[in-house]
Amino acid sequence: MSALLPDLLAPGDPADAKREPRARARAGWARALRLWGPAGFLVLMLAACFGWPNIYPVPNPVRGSVLQAGLPPLSPGHIFGTDPVGNDVFSRILYGGQISFEVGFGVTAIGLVVGGLLGMAAGYWGGAADTIISRLLDVLIAFPALVLALAIAEGLGPSEVHVIWALSVFSIPAVGRIARGATLALRGQTFILAARLSGTRGWRVIVRHVIPNIAPQLMTFSLLGIGVAIILEGALSFLGLGIPLPEASWGSMIAQGQQTLSASPDLVLIPSAFLFATVLSLNLLGDALRERWGVR
Amino acid sequence: MAVAEGPEPGAQTGRARRVLGSPSLRLAGRRLLAAILVLWGVTFLTYVVMNLLPGDAAQELLGANATPAEVHQLEVQLHLNEPFWVRYGQWLGDAFHGSLGTSVVNGENVTTILGTRLPVTAELLLYAFVGSIAFGVAVAVLGSRRPNGVADRLSMIVSMTGLSIAPYVLALVLIYLFAVRLPWFPAIGYTSLTADPFQNIRSLTLPAVAIGFPLFSIYTRLLRADIVEQMQREDYIVTARAKGVPPWRVLLRHALPNSLFGLITLVALNLGTLVGAVAIIEPIFSLPGVGAILIQSINDHDVPVVEGIVVFFGAVVVVANLLADLLYTALDPRIRYERAAS
Amino acid sequence: MKFGSAERKERKRIRRFGLAGTAVLLALGVAACSSSSSSSSSAAAPASTGPRAGGALTVFEATGYSGDWPDGLDPATNIDGAADQDYMDAIFGELFELGPKGAVIPDLATGYSISSDAKTITLDIRPGVKFTDGTPFNAAAVVTNIDRDLKSACTCKPTWPVTSVTATGPDTVTITLSAPDGAFIDEIFDSTADWIASPTALQKMGEKAFALAPVGAGPFEVVSDTLSSVLVLKKNPTYWQTGRPYLDTLTFKTVASDEAGYEALLAKEGQIYVDMSTPSLLQQAAKNPGVEVENQLSTSPYDLQLNTKTAPFNNVKARQAIYAATNFGPILQHVFDNMYPPVQGFTGPGGICYSPTVPGYQGYDPTLAKTLVAQSGLGKVTINLGTIQNLVAEETTEALQTEWAAVGIKTVIHAYALAPLIAQFVSGKWQSMIQTAGSYDPAAGVGVGFRFSSVSPFSGVHDPHLDSLLNQAAALTSMSQRCAIYTQAANYIASNYYGPFYFAFAPANVAVKGVVGPGLTEPLPAVVVTPTILWEDVAYGS
Repeated sequence: MSALLPDLLAPGDPADAKREPRARARAGWARALRLWGPAGFLVLMLAACFGWPNIYPVPNPVRGSVLQAGLPPLSPGHIFGTDPVGNDVFSRILYGGQISFEVGFGVTAIGLVVGGLLGMAAGYWGGAADTIISRLLDVLIAFPALVLALAIAEGLGPSEVHVIWALSVFSIPAVGRIARGATLALRGQTFILAARLSGTRGWRVIVRHVIPNIAPQLMTFSLLGIGVAIILEGALSFLGLGIPLPEASWGSMIAQGQQTLSASPDLVLIPSAFLFATVLSLNLLGDALRERWGVR
Repeated sequence: MAVAEGPEPGAQTGRARRVLGSPSLRLAGRRLLAAILVLWGVTFLTYVVMNLLPGDAAQELLGANATPAEVHQLEVQLHLNEPFWVRYGQWLGDAFHGSLGTSVVNGENVTTILGTRLPVTAELLLYAFVGSIAFGVAVAVLGSRRPNGVADRLSMIVSMTGLSIAPYVLALVLIYLFAVRLPWFPAIGYTSLTADPFQNIRSLTLPAVAIGFPLFSIYTRLLRADIVEQMQREDYIVTARAKGVPPWRVLLRHALPNSLFGLITLVALNLGTLVGAVAIIEPIFSLPGVGAILIQSINDHDVPVVEGIVVFFGAVVVVANLLADLLYTALDPRIRYERAAS
Repeated sequence: MKFGSAERKERKRIRRFGLAGTAVLLALGVAACSSSSSSSSSAAAPASTGPRAGGALTVFEATGYSGDWPDGLDPATNIDGAADQDYMDAIFGELFELGPKGAVIPDLATGYSISSDAKTITLDIRPGVKFTDGTPFNAAAVVTNIDRDLKSACTCKPTWPVTSVTATGPDTVTITLSAPDGAFIDEIFDSTADWIASPTALQKMGEKAFALAPVGAGPFEVVSDTLSSVLVLKKNPTYWQTGRPYLDTLTFKTVASDEAGYEALLAKEGQIYVDMSTPSLLQQAAKNPGVEVENQLSTSPYDLQLNTKTAPFNNVKARQAIYAATNFGPILQHVFDNMYPPVQGFTGPGGICYSPTVPGYQGYDPTLAKTLVAQSGLGKVTINLGTIQNLVAEETTEALQTEWAAVGIKTVIHAYALAPLIAQFVSGKWQSMIQTAGSYDPAAGVGVGFRFSSVSPFSGVHDPHLDSLLNQAAALTSMSQRCAIYTQAANYIASNYYGPFYFAFAPANVAVKGVVGPGLTEPLPAVVVTPTILWEDVAYGS
């Protein structure tokens, strides 16, 4: 339960107050680094994936010339080498990164909006609304989203948009539960009571008071969620149900590279490394923000 | 979360009456009903989704050379031409009588199929869960004894890695390092428990680690955060310390049990992601479990098998969440009364 | 909060921790110990000449094709029959086997004769053979089986135009056809009629149980069967050929891919991986001194099928444009390391009537291609290019996509699993498909008719003249006459631009050193795309 309470009055790490000034300054630097390090890396990745191809020409991520097949990393013109049909790996990493970020943000955004609204509604009004919404969220949690993802991929054909829909089945109930719990906890607080007593209507209370207060918690949770969504997109592509060939996605690159792991391990290692670094940064950033905003 | 210690107040005589009419029993009843409803909802949703897929099992079964007449004949035979509600009703009715139908692909009893494959998956998941929870709790306790100490920082780094790595990547790395390079574990295959317990554990270790390591990371982080928060903020901890209770006892006897709430909720929540995990990990290790046939069955439009698997996992998730809820309620009297009153 | 419950929780936690810790220690200890005990399952091979009797062997097959047998192993009902030939051959043996250099080896049949009008075939069954359940293997059993195969609803059933199958003696079977078929025996290898099941066992167990634990007269019998996962077989003590099989136990395990199979081989969990086609892994394996790579003789070239029933390939200029836009040499070199020979027809070096070139075949001509693209309007549409989910097929497809883009042909690739692939063909909405065409005998199985006759749902061609050529060739008994007609057919396909052919692909079998046998240490022609192995002749040795 305590995990769900946003403690706005948290003084930060109480151990800090006991330290001497220089140690406190060092701790301050360390804390800043924990926040800006991962944030910087993420900005760099976003800039690279979305910006670089538009500014500086890179080889095509698809339709590579077969004359350049299977080149190892650090070959001239192909810094990460090429895959067995001649596509440049570096370029595929960049474009695959675009897909990963798009899916990650898309799924999380849908989760935040839909799940957040549902959760807040359930938590604020309680009663019948709460029961219905909670049961609905329960069904979504118990429902194997993989089956849905497979069905969508098979029925409608694999595509990025379908992947986002399928993965939202995961994100909506997760955010919904957090939002509901946080709203429930907030509802009993005095200032909410005061707002309601003063006649402010339901939705206004939610917009003016609930949202700003649960936002930090939802935000930090969502950062973790982006990482999870990116990994899940990779899983779907790994199973062949995500981004269709020959478009690049880190997951499908890993799946394809896996088939020749003994012969060319770098085809797996390179996208895995990028996947790991990106998700790691998202998690570290989430942690640092949680620390900064005093969210539990 | 401050909870008073001490023996529960109350005479013995009124106990029976209190338990029967108690809010927790009524609450349990309501929860059970809700759980059944949710389980039904899951099966229904799955049926709908499977039906929306183009084509059907008869076409898949007979393959290419079949004439439309032959396909239609098989459809009639398999009752695939009947309307959606009739088929779903049939399945539901059979399910209530304990029969999950037969596989459309090979006529085998779904119960038999599940019977041979579920033990493999169940053992794998049990292994992964027990390992991840046990290690999670142990590492969290060790770390929170001295927050930001060496053990704590190390555990944070390891768990951060576990959170950020994809299970399928981890599986590939594990196979390469511990099966091919160092022949400690088999790269593929499964030996049943009855055939050879040693080999059985051996064949399930790498897959269990691939599934369990990310879980362990989540659990240990959450638990450690909870425990540290307890230790630093709660009044009763301060009281206990002031009374001179040794730090370990404070940690294990007071902070840990109260922090387990968050863990319980999270474990129950995580169970829903299991189906996806096994569908990916089992084929990589060639384990003959349900994950391995799930994707195949969806492609084959083998609705009874898919439903059977979904029912099982849905039931596991629902039951686990129910237990978690009840455990919650039973352990924290405040929640019990608050909920009963609302 | 109860006093006692906290204690109980603590104890439970410690117990769990203890359990987990023990499990880990157990696993590590077991792992350390078992690495030495695992070597007992694979016999250490002292230097010796020739095969040795005895030993247990494990074979890996990849899922998605040969590694799956979801319907069980009854010849009459196993839809994946051709793909599962390894298991079927091991359990049932074969009436006739396709051996090294294309020799027809009599196994459970001793001989055959075909009438001059090619409408009556007589098979001589090997006398004195028993199924593993003790019942006699005779003409009556063969007749029961073939009848059953023909009557089954399975799409795997034989396609001969049979009018009657009778036992004309205790060990003689006569088959009469309504149309001549000179390729009958060649077609048997490809057909479920090659595998004879015990009728008594079928009767006693019922079809469903039989499919899960089949009974035949082959070199091995079933010990345990986990569908599409593990098949454990043991030596048939009453096998007709004395001294065979060499092996005591034969185990088949399904793995996820070429790579998984190769890793399992390297981890010494098995001795053979069947049907490796990933080029880079083949190169890697070839460099490995502990491993032997045996390339089979190709009988089915890769080709591009064009659907002549719908746009855009109902236009002959569009089809010709595709021919002119393809330069397969660089693809062969860079993607496949020149491992396979290029061909222009449907015959391969492992099969009969092999003829790699076709006179007048439209070769690579980018200028002509661009002209044709403009004339036919091919550049204005995006073509659906389909293939099966298989690394070689996918890589070929992607490489072609690149080449065609250079002359203005736009494509989108679809890689299908087997079932959706079949659905695509059946729906008739496909435009182009990269597949394999051809078989040991073009008249058999996944031969030419499969891809080019007007009656096959897998064909994009509906040309009565081609149909008559193929039927003629199948009906004749003289090999030289048949080959002449097949050459005509290949020329006809090329001059109508029905579909370009690329290379004679043949997968390889990879085995650890110290295992010998046909298909492992000497190449065999592939019966149906995937390599064949004659299990009764496989042994440890050198």
